[in-house]
Amino acid sequence: MKKILLMSIFGAIAIFSSMQASFGAAGTNYTIRVDGLACPYCAYGIEKKFKKMAGISNIRVDLDKGLVSVDAKEGVQLKKAKLKKLFNDSGFTYRSMKTKPIK
Amino acid sequence: MLYQYKTKFGLGLILLSSFLLNTAFAHDPIFGQGPHVVFKNGVEVATGLETSKKGTEVENKLGLEVTYGLTGDWAMGIDIPYAIKADNGNASSGYGDAGVFTKYRFWRRDSLGLQKSAAISLKLFGPTGDKNAAPALGTGTTDSVVGLSYGYESRSWYRWASVRYRQNGTNNAGLKRGSKTRVDFVVGMRPNLTSYTEPDMVYLLELNGEFGDQATLSGNRVANTGGDEWFISPGFMWSITNFSIRGGIQLPIVSNLNGTQEKSDYRAKIGFEWHL
Repeated sequence: MKKILLMSIFGAIAIFSSMQASFGAAGTNYTIRVDGLACPYCAYGIEKKFKKMAGISNIRVDLDKGLVSVDAKEGVQLKKAKLKKLFNDSGFTYRSMKTKPIK
Repeated sequence: MLYQYKTKFGLGLILLSSFLLNTAFAHDPIFGQGPHVVFKNGVEVATGLETSKKGTEVENKLGLEVTYGLTGDWAMGIDIPYAIKADNGNASSGYGDAGVFTKYRFWRRDSLGLQKSAAISLKLFGPTGDKNAAPALGTGTTDSVVGLSYGYESRSWYRWASVRYRQNGTNNAGLKRGSKTRVDFVVGMRPNLTSYTEPDMVYLLELNGEFGDQATLSGNRVANTGGDEWFISPGFMWSITNFSIRGGIQLPIVSNLNGTQEKSDYRAKIGFEWHL
């Protein structure tokens, strides 16, 4: 009986863990290559534009690598055309992006 | 929390210096001009103090400049100066000639950590200042300035070059102040490559040339007006996220003025800017 109870507990933990892995993805991280990023003061427009977008958080700018990274919550998708416009409106040039799921 | 604090601090400074000065666009040189344009739908608020001395003539100006980004490459704005002047024992103060301006960045080449661009600009000054005050606070004329600027902005180094031409109107008495051409060559250096959220400092050194035509009165040239001056101008730009402080001093190195005129002793500027 004790053995069955222990097996049930371990089984429940295993199922819960796998559920968390499959349903726990909070969204997508976008790492975007941007050209023209030279000074922090000028890059503020990028942050402001992303802040206005619903479902976007954790905005980071790496000037030396020319990268802008944002997290999009589940269901929010950033398309290339939208990003091109966003960066052009901010005074910079969009080059490419990489995505990865957020766990 | 930090953002809220900075916003309150910024608004406080704006209110404290509610009569403001004539500063240049955002991340541009202090005395010259660059091609920088505020982002689309962005608002740039600049306030500051400008002071100059020329013989017995001392002028202090407070200014407010508000710029709006129409697109990522096109901006327009207004400039409202408040002047405090003194000359030969006379003193006056009040609003000067207000201006409206626009700038269009017609060329931009971006690469990793580098932006090269060029822009044209136009500024119109209206006769809003009191021309009868002593010393006069306004010119009584509508004047225009057209400009062309080039900028090379990298992580470590900046280079700018610009040329501006000011065409002055004729007042009711038939006096037309001489037009003026300005050329500027500027280098800037960022000694520490800080991250996006850290305070950023850029040191500047400008060479500013001014070439003034003689004034005319009813078509006749007026003696002791016009001439050329060159200045060397060290300055700085300090910024953190969306707030910056910019300042510099302009020192004359060559003066070739027509007739007998007071030479410039110095000009200095300090300005505060916010991108909202």
